[in-house]
Formats: sequence, C-alpha cells, structure tokens
Amino acid sequence: MTGTGLDVVGGQGPLTGCRVLELSHRAAAVAGRTLADLGAEVVKIEPPGGEASRALAPTAPLPDGQEIGLFWLAFNVSKRSVTLALDTTEGRRQFAELARTADVVVTDFERLTLAENDRLADLARRANPALVWTEIWPFGRGEPFEAWPAGDLTLQALGGHLLLNGDVDRPPVRLGLPVALLQGGAEAASAAVMAYYHRLRTGQGQRVDVSVQECITWTLLNTTMTWQLLQREEVRGGAVRKERANKFYTRLVWPVADGFVQFGPVGGGGGVVRERSYAALVAWMAEDGIADPLLTERDWNGSGQFDVSQEDYDAVSELIAGFLATKTIDELMARAVPERILLAPVSDVAQVLDNPHLVTRGFFELLDDPSRGTSLRYPGEWVRMTRTPLRPVSPAPAPGQDTAEILGALGEPADGGAA
Amino acid sequence: MNRSQIFTGLKVADFSWAAAGPIVTKQLADNGATVIKVESTRHPDSVRLGGPFAGDKPGLNRSGFFADFNSSKLGIAVDMGHPRAAEVIERLVRWADVVADSFRPGIMERWGFGYERLSEINPSIIMLSSSLYGAGGPWSEHPGFGAQGQALAGIHGLTGWPDRPPAMPKGAYTDSVSPRYATAALVAALIHRDRTGEGQWLEMSQVEATVNFLAPELLDLQLTGHVTRRDGNVDERAVLHGVFPCRGEDRWIAIEVWHEPSWERLLAVLGEELPDPLLAETEAVRRSRRDEVEAAVGRLTASRDPFELMATLRRAGVSAGVALRGSDLFTDEALVGRQHFWPLAHPEMGELAYNGPAYRFEATPSALTKAAPCLGEDTRRVLCDVLHLDPDEIADLEKSGLLE
Repeated sequence: MTGTGLDVVGGQGPLTGCRVLELSHRAAAVAGRTLADLGAEVVKIEPPGGEASRALAPTAPLPDGQEIGLFWLAFNVSKRSVTLALDTTEGRRQFAELARTADVVVTDFERLTLAENDRLADLARRANPALVWTEIWPFGRGEPFEAWPAGDLTLQALGGHLLLNGDVDRPPVRLGLPVALLQGGAEAASAAVMAYYHRLRTGQGQRVDVSVQECITWTLLNTTMTWQLLQREEVRGGAVRKERANKFYTRLVWPVADGFVQFGPVGGGGGVVRERSYAALVAWMAEDGIADPLLTERDWNGSGQFDVSQEDYDAVSELIAGFLATKTIDELMARAVPERILLAPVSDVAQVLDNPHLVTRGFFELLDDPSRGTSLRYPGEWVRMTRTPLRPVSPAPAPGQDTAEILGALGEPADGGAA
Repeated sequence: MNRSQIFTGLKVADFSWAAAGPIVTKQLADNGATVIKVESTRHPDSVRLGGPFAGDKPGLNRSGFFADFNSSKLGIAVDMGHPRAAEVIERLVRWADVVADSFRPGIMERWGFGYERLSEINPSIIMLSSSLYGAGGPWSEHPGFGAQGQALAGIHGLTGWPDRPPAMPKGAYTDSVSPRYATAALVAALIHRDRTGEGQWLEMSQVEATVNFLAPELLDLQLTGHVTRRDGNVDERAVLHGVFPCRGEDRWIAIEVWHEPSWERLLAVLGEELPDPLLAETEAVRRSRRDEVEAAVGRLTASRDPFELMATLRRAGVSAGVALRGSDLFTDEALVGRQHFWPLAHPEMGELAYNGPAYRFEATPSALTKAAPCLGEDTRRVLCDVLHLDPDEIADLEKSGLLE
C-alpha cells in the first residue's frame, strides 16, 4: 500500500510513491526534507494552527510582515501539511487511518514525549504493521537514558566532539550550528530509507531509532581509536591544534591578506597528494624569493613526517605564514586550484552563497513562493542521480493546506489516489 | 519472521577511500552486504597512512583511523594501473550491484572504469561517486580533504570565538555529513532498480551535501541581510547556554537552560547559599549581563565533580553534559547501554572497539562481523570463490604483479 506519490508535489525522484508522515520540531524535519528531495510524498502532521517550530527563533520577516522561523522555512520545503488534533479521539482515529496509507513515519524528541511517541506508534503500527516507524532521540531508546533531557549543546558534549574544538586557554567551543539535531535528522533519513528498502523486499515493517549522541560520536572520526591504540587523549585547538595523533601541534587556519584559509601544508597525514601540494607551495614561495633551505632539506610529508619535532615544525610554518599573509583568498585560489595546493577559504555564510564553484555548478536552486512573496536560493541538488534526479524544491506548506484533500481520500479504495 | 539483515545478498565493489566513501559502504557491510574493498600497495586507502597506529608504529595494516571505517568488509589487492587490471575488475563489476568510489573526479575514468564503461559491463550497476567538490565546476579537480571541505562549506567559519580566528572543528566535517546523505540516495537508487531494473550514476559533492546544514543561515542572509557569525557557545534564545569548568584537569560541563523554571532547578542544584546576588536577579537583568552570569555559574561548578553534577542536573530535568574525552566514551552509560562499541580482533592490531551505527533496526539488527581487512587479505579467496577464476589464472595474475 503506497501513498499518492504521483500528485502535486510527487512524481519525481527514486522514492516516488513512498508516503512519509512527519511529526517534527527540528530533527525529523531535516529527515523529512531529505526524503522529500528523494521524491517521497512527505506529509507533515501538525496541530491545528500549525506546529510550534514555524515560529521558532531566529525568525525573519516575510514581505507580508509575518515572522517565520528560519530553520522551519529551510527544512520544510517540498512537503504537504495535514492538521490533526492528536489529543482527541477523532484526531487519533484519523492519524491511524492516515498511517494505513503511509510507508514511513519520522518523529523527533523535541516534538513528542516518549509516552506520546509510543502511543502513536502503537496506534499506527497496529493499523499498518508494514510501517517503518523512525524516531530520533538524544541517546536512542533504552533504559534509563532514553528519558534524559538533552539539547544540542549537551549532545555535542556527550558525543565527545565539544571538548575537541576551540583554543586551549578557553572553554571548549561548540560548532556554531545545531549539528546534533541536523546529524540526527540526516541519519534518520538514511536509516528510514534502509528500512523501507527492506520493507519493499520482504513486506516487513519495523521500528527504527536513532541516537543523536552516537551520530556525534561518529563525527570524531579517529578519537576513540587514538585512545585505544596510544592511550592518548586528543587535545582541542583553535587555529593551531594537534591533529590525527600527531606528536606536534600544527597550524590549520592561516591569516591571509583578506581573511583566513584552511591549510595543512606539513604533517597531519600522508599521501602523494600532500607531498605534491607542498612541492607546489615551495616552488611558488621560491618565485617570491622565500627559499630557506629548511623548506626542502627535510621530508615533511612523506614517511619523514613521523620524525618532525615541534621546533622544526614551528620554524617551517613561520616561513609559510609569512608568505600566505601577503596573498588574498582570490590570489591563493587562482593558483591553488590548477597547481593542486591543498588549501581552501574559510568561508562565511555570504561567501558560501557566492562561492564560484557552487554557483557554477548550479547548486543553489531558486524557489519562488508566491504565497509568501519570496524568491530564495536553497541548497539544491546535493546528489546528481542520472536516472532519478532529486525533486526540485517546492514551497513549504501552509498549516493544514492539504488536510481536506488527504483526509478526503481516506475513504477511497485501498490504494487511494495512487495512479 | 525474516531475521536476515537489510542488505543480505547485496554485492558491492568498493573503490572508495579516506572517510566519506568508506563510511557509506560500512553501512552496507554492517547490515549484511558483501563489500569487496579494492586497493593496492601502490595505491592504498590513504587513511592507512594516517594515525593512530597500533604500537605507535606506522604500517599499512596498523592504522586505527582506517580500521574504524572498514569493518565487515573484505579486502583485495589489485593494481589499477596494471595493464591486466581489467581481467579482474570486469568480473568484479559484472558480479556487483553497486560500485562506490570517492576519488577526485576523473580517477576511475583514467583507470578505464568510469560510469560509462561500468554500465557497458553491467547495465544495472549503481555507481556512487563521492568527491569533495563534485564532478564538474571550476574547482572540481582541486584536491582536498574534509578539513578543506568544512572550511568551504561554512561549518568551520561559524565555529569559535568572535575575537579569535575561526576554530577548526575536530575531524573533517564533510566526511561526517555527506555519508548520511549518500547512503540515503544510494539505497533509494536500489529501490528504483528493484522497481525498474535500471542502474544509474550518483555523483555527489561532499561540500554540497554539507551545505544542506547551512540552509537556515543562507535564508537569513537573503531575507534580512544578516550574516551569522561565530559566537562561542552563545545561544540568544536560552536563559543560560554555556560550557563551565568542573573539578579536575580540563573538565567541563555543558549546561542548557531554556526556561525560568529550569533556571530555578539549576540554582537549587548549584547550592542554596548563592554567593553572587546577580544569580537571584530577574531574567531581564541576567540576560543583559550574560558574561557575568556565566562567570558566576562557572565559579559554582568549578568545585563540582563533572559526572556527579551531570547526574544531579539530569535528575532535576536540566540538560547537561560533560564534555567527554575519548577515553570517557567507553564508559559513558548511554553508549555502553546502547552497545555502541563492537570489539573485533585484527591480526596485526589485536582487539579494538569499533564504532557501530547510530541507528537500531528492531527487526533486522546491524552487526559488525569482522575487523577491517589487511591490505589484500582476501584476494585469493575472492578471486577463487566469488569471481570464480581458476587456480592457474590466479597464479598467472599473481606472477604478473597485478595482485599487489
């Protein structure tokens, strides 16, 4: 039994025909957006009047004067909306009817309490045992931790990531985006598609739960192995830090004439790409008259990197810093790209939107939303699929805009509006 | 009841390297797929060269960095630059449902195995190519790692203190975001193939996948002209949102207070005799003197054991988390309760705890079935049992130097 995939906002993408019900505040909305991009028909289930996150700060004014939550507007495009009073018997009955027509449900911990989530899951899964019920929790399901309170900052801390960011002379510093919620949402989308694949092949539905903490632990990449193999705790750094179990601190953020670049010219891993990048840098420095023998008398990136001392490193990085400080980001990138020097600008938000590479690729997709009077560029085709391209973004729904149509179709034959 | 795993029977030829690609194929392998990782001593997975190494001794089969991303996979050695590479690779592609790579664009083509050629060999093949910048566009072939990716994608610039250069986020953030999106798209492509028989090419830029996370800030810029900047641990919406010192060396606790009742509970935990009258002030006053309030809270937390304080705050319903160290993760109650870590034995590295997935499937549990392969560990077995080459052919290929 599938949803009405071939209707207004469906009909493109590999998940065409998959109906998703979304009960979200933030994380599940990220999951829903991903599934919608892939072509699923994502139906938001909102309380009458609309969900709280529509007004969640930070907000921005629309041309009609209405304030709208930016997170909401970002992650709720390409969806439909049904309003249901889930605190009433009739609302719950309708939810169960809707679940009968759905393939996947996504929920998150900011929207539902454990008890409410489980009540709704029972109801929906009884109505439709083949349903994939996907839920996002700070620590996942399990006693006693499933009930612990935790927000984004707390989860960045408990995933082990927080301690590793920022200057050593100050407290650890978070990533400046709610990455715990974002990662939890993206992971839930991936897990939901996996379980849906299994459902399509076997008919078996199931419950899937995602731990945001575990998602954050995955962003460490090698911290847990470093402890196990070397009994060494990683140390945080700001622009200068100890990376990848190096024995020495390396500078990774370099002031340039008009901003900062990210660059690890020496140390921090191996491979021929790093060796060539370094050789191209040294050649360029020589052209500018910086040709200290220290730059070339050692094997800085090959197997010799494991014998580099802090003093050696500091001496060579001072030479490199002096060179970089004379260049602008544009000057650096104009030569770094053709010569494959491993550096990149540390972009601010405006520089991301204007990035020449992303703009040339057509990554940002213009969405005209006549109902709101906006015309905005969204992150668009995050994967290019040759047979089933992602669905172009369409406007985020008004609260309950699809209630009549979708609930109206519930009385129809088993496969409802499906073509 | 079907107890098999989600990807039981799925066949994957895995050319991917570093982190972003192997983390995707790990999801397939840990859920039952047969994943055959192709490397060579001339062209090993680059993170085999990155530490931490067992015994602090570098070696192709000694990197824990490599190990964690390659559980449950088989490893074969095929020198892709060798004139006879196609003799093995064409069979592998014919066998496979999925081919994955994460090289700079153009490398698979140079080896003669771009998507066009793969689809001639196996028309229903699904190829996932994930690269930092994506195929096409002016910076397409610019080399880079996740560190460059997170800088370009804006994650790095938003992290740190306003009066200092942006703090580099630990890790390589595009390697931690893109695999989640790539896995969703890849499995969706499998669904499309089941339905239609059609394979396809999935081409992904890890930077673009990561810029998805920046969508609210990009809209803010367009709607209001406001450019979000790094601002330490501040969240304007919260009553209290910070990271505070605790007893012990470099011990910190993150505390989030979103409502006044929660603030009252925090104060009750921190002590009845408040040494600083500022903490008893109205919300409006406290908000106007945020730095002083944070300093006052920090003076109260500084003498507390971080774990005891966290437990007490949790019981009081306040969101609090110790900034866990690498070693702390192995004893964290939730991670232990979830059985997040999987002990796996490796011939050169011994037993290590590998990171398992963040999701739990109720009916089709994931399982990390073996430690990461040594380079070429399964070459003979795969050529013989999976690709059905006869022993003479294998001996001949070995002699040619292809399988090194």
